[in-house]
Amino acid sequence: MEPTMKVAATLHVNGTDYPVELDPHASLLKAVREELGLTGSKEGCDDSECGACMMLLDGEPLNACSYLALQAEGREVTTVEGLAGDDDVGPLQRAFLQQFGVQCGFCTPGMLVSATALLRRNPDPTEEEIRIGLSGNLCRCTGYRGIVRAVRQVASGDVPPLGSAPVHPDTTPPHRAG
Amino acid sequence: MATVETAPAGFVRQDGKEKVTGTGRYTADLTFTGMAHAKFRYADHSHAKILKIDTSKAKALPGVVAVLTQDDLPDVRYGGFVQDRYLFARNTVRFEGEIVAGVVGVTEEIAAEAARLIEVEYEPLPVVTDFVAAMEPGATLIHPDLPSYDKDENIVADGNTMAYHTIVKGDAETAMAGADVVVKSHYVSDASQGVPIEPRAVVAQWQGDKVTIWSSTQVPYAARAGVAQTLQVPEANVRVVVPLLGGGFGAKCDLHFEGQVAALARAAQRPVRLVLSREEEFTIIAQRREGIAMDFETGVTRDGRLVARRAKLVLDKGAYCGEGGFLGQMAAMHACGPYQIDHISVEAFLNYTNNQPSGSVRAPTAPQVCWGLEQHMDEVAAAIGMDPVDLRRRTLIEEGAEGPTRQVFDKVGVRDTLERAVEMIGYGRELPDDEAIGVAVGWWPCMPAPSGAYVQMNGDGSATIVTGAQENGSGAVMAMPIFVGQELGIDPNDVSILYQDTDVAPWDMGSCGSQTTFNSGRAILAAAQEVREQLLEAAAEQLEADRDDLELAGGVARVKGSPDRSVAITDLVGEIGTVHGKGSGEVLDAPTGDTGGCVGRLGNETFLAPQLITQAAHVKVDRATGVVRVLKVAAAHDSGRILNRAGADGQVLGGVVMGVGLALSEGTMLDDQGRQRNPHLLDYKLLTCSDTPEIEVDWIEYDSVGPRGTKGVGEPPQVPTAGAIANAISKVIGRHVRRLPMTPERVWEAARG
Repeated sequence: MEPTMKVAATLHVNGTDYPVELDPHASLLKAVREELGLTGSKEGCDDSECGACMMLLDGEPLNACSYLALQAEGREVTTVEGLAGDDDVGPLQRAFLQQFGVQCGFCTPGMLVSATALLRRNPDPTEEEIRIGLSGNLCRCTGYRGIVRAVRQVASGDVPPLGSAPVHPDTTPPHRAG
Repeated sequence: MATVETAPAGFVRQDGKEKVTGTGRYTADLTFTGMAHAKFRYADHSHAKILKIDTSKAKALPGVVAVLTQDDLPDVRYGGFVQDRYLFARNTVRFEGEIVAGVVGVTEEIAAEAARLIEVEYEPLPVVTDFVAAMEPGATLIHPDLPSYDKDENIVADGNTMAYHTIVKGDAETAMAGADVVVKSHYVSDASQGVPIEPRAVVAQWQGDKVTIWSSTQVPYAARAGVAQTLQVPEANVRVVVPLLGGGFGAKCDLHFEGQVAALARAAQRPVRLVLSREEEFTIIAQRREGIAMDFETGVTRDGRLVARRAKLVLDKGAYCGEGGFLGQMAAMHACGPYQIDHISVEAFLNYTNNQPSGSVRAPTAPQVCWGLEQHMDEVAAAIGMDPVDLRRRTLIEEGAEGPTRQVFDKVGVRDTLERAVEMIGYGRELPDDEAIGVAVGWWPCMPAPSGAYVQMNGDGSATIVTGAQENGSGAVMAMPIFVGQELGIDPNDVSILYQDTDVAPWDMGSCGSQTTFNSGRAILAAAQEVREQLLEAAAEQLEADRDDLELAGGVARVKGSPDRSVAITDLVGEIGTVHGKGSGEVLDAPTGDTGGCVGRLGNETFLAPQLITQAAHVKVDRATGVVRVLKVAAAHDSGRILNRAGADGQVLGGVVMGVGLALSEGTMLDDQGRQRNPHLLDYKLLTCSDTPEIEVDWIEYDSVGPRGTKGVGEPPQVPTAGAIANAISKVIGRHVRRLPMTPERVWEAARG
């Protein structure tokens, strides 16, 4: 096998410029995970089927597994690590935890990125709009309800800090038979 | 009854912050200095003798640092109940995902190219992919040497039948002859998959004679034992660490590639990482949900008493045993179901084929068998002109009733679950003629197993749990601080958890069998109680009070009723010096029954503390296309006491959604060589966010035998979903769909008759 000639490029990710040497065939996902060491974005299928690799490219959601890293030069890339901005944990991230929208967490980064894009496009989505907006992201654990509720909660503007008041809306007392 | 304390308001899982910020590390996120990459060479035939393996071209490729075949490893087979497999194929390949050789390259691309350059000569053998035909006389044997393999003493093997089982009660033949009505049904389920969103990954690094293996496994101790056995090294030299685990659903149980990667890392003399592609995650793992062919026969009186049940189940084991040797017996118990039946004769055949091996996937065998049995129960009800819910009301088990092997049940809430589910779904109301409601009932046992844990108090009044329990994402381990916080009178947010490391914590069965709260929770509680005793004894001395008059609450030890007579836990810890406890608790015994007539007893012939479930599904069917839309599922569960309502609800929501997928779209399709035709997420269709129905969850809570009155939670949610949907579909189209998954084509064909 002939070694591939690497190409010098600069990636702009989460507000930082990274000078890198890229294989021309490297996906944006692979470059961000392996060259920049930002492993929050996940590879679940390498085929744009699961959404675990979702990033924002100039604000638009993108399956980074199926996009060449070199194509991202000169454009602004946002990954899950950049979602909180200056916050420790952003409101959408807090809502995901408070609404039990996170179990194994592997789909979570992509889900958060897709939800961020959705809320920018449509700050007050209906449940159906949320469900359609997130249908490019597979989750096998949660049944999606906590995720949908988290997005609704952010749209409603009320996300308390972690460790404070209960937010799980389904807290009706369980049926007690005995 | 005493109030069971549950999760405090605002309790958030401790691994949550790392998961939502992207800073948490899963196995494939790990890199090490000098790390190289593993790839496997897979079988070129589904069944063939290996005549020759030539690795010379692969070894000559620049950048290749190791190439291994089974000739380089100890001559040791592994397997849970039957030891039938080598890490790399030796002499014979038996399914498309069989690993013939492993290579390590300094890049993934070089490793992939080297794997391609390995030259293998084969003599093809007849391929057995039909798991029913596999047991016909004269069928090609998948394992001709099966009689001489090491195996569990209770395994009854013959020909391609790796394990044969019966569940027997009374005299089913005579009773059947005396029944008012006899109903026979035939159902077939395709194989399906667990599909965690994280593909499996393994990293191994040797330092001297010791190896550390980071693996996306649900069962680190089983992985450790498997590495030790297959590489012939002491368990003490094998450390398995599980980084964050991106889902499992059973599919990440058993020894899975840790042995091969450890061997490759030793040969390469550097850390080696294996990350599976999505296609490999479908085709090479030895852990899918098995196909089952089911024949049910039930004799019933006109007033709805089940006088006899006969059933024959044939299960597709695939090429190797793995941990799935018990599947036949488990399926046989599910062919009885949580019903009172006077006489029973069920037999199950777990047959080898040249298909992907089967193993535990979330409630192994139960959803498929429940799908068939619950449709059969609706057919029985129709045959005697009775409403199917009424038939279940008359026949479900209750306290004091006898099970399939005459175990006598304690208080169980299955009838309550039935009433609650039909209430939530609005059973019996008028619906448009393309909509209907179906009901199904299922069960799942609790698995008694040893476990061990440590709990230590820290100087600042916080505490640390050290447990061998494994967290697959469900939150079962993440809920353990609630137990410890309650025992020690401190905030669960001040209790940290150390898990995931076989060198640190005592043995645990792992994240499988819905057993974490039931067994690991028991051990952690016992360890916390030791700490509690130490604190209370020291406090009794300091406060000059009777130990029995003291309680731990709010970070202090205090005299009950005199809160001003108190001492801070931090002061007690300072005084005692080190405060730590260890615990295991007592492993519960399986219930006794009349099991003497049963063949192939592997421990599932009675069900300890069965979890009971009724689900009711409201569906809409397009008769012209066969497309089914599930509008709502009502799920009522008896899992004993619920400690963390939101976490438990999460298990049901996820399980029901998996169940809807199993019902309608998730099926592995095979070609005539046993190769998967749909090993990708576009053609193996999981439910998306916009496909999911409304789901209403409720819990029937009676005290059970697990810690704090609990049972398991995680597996049952998937058990009856497909059956409930099937019964609803049949009400719309007038016929039962006899093949799972119930795809539009199959529904359309069934509707045409």
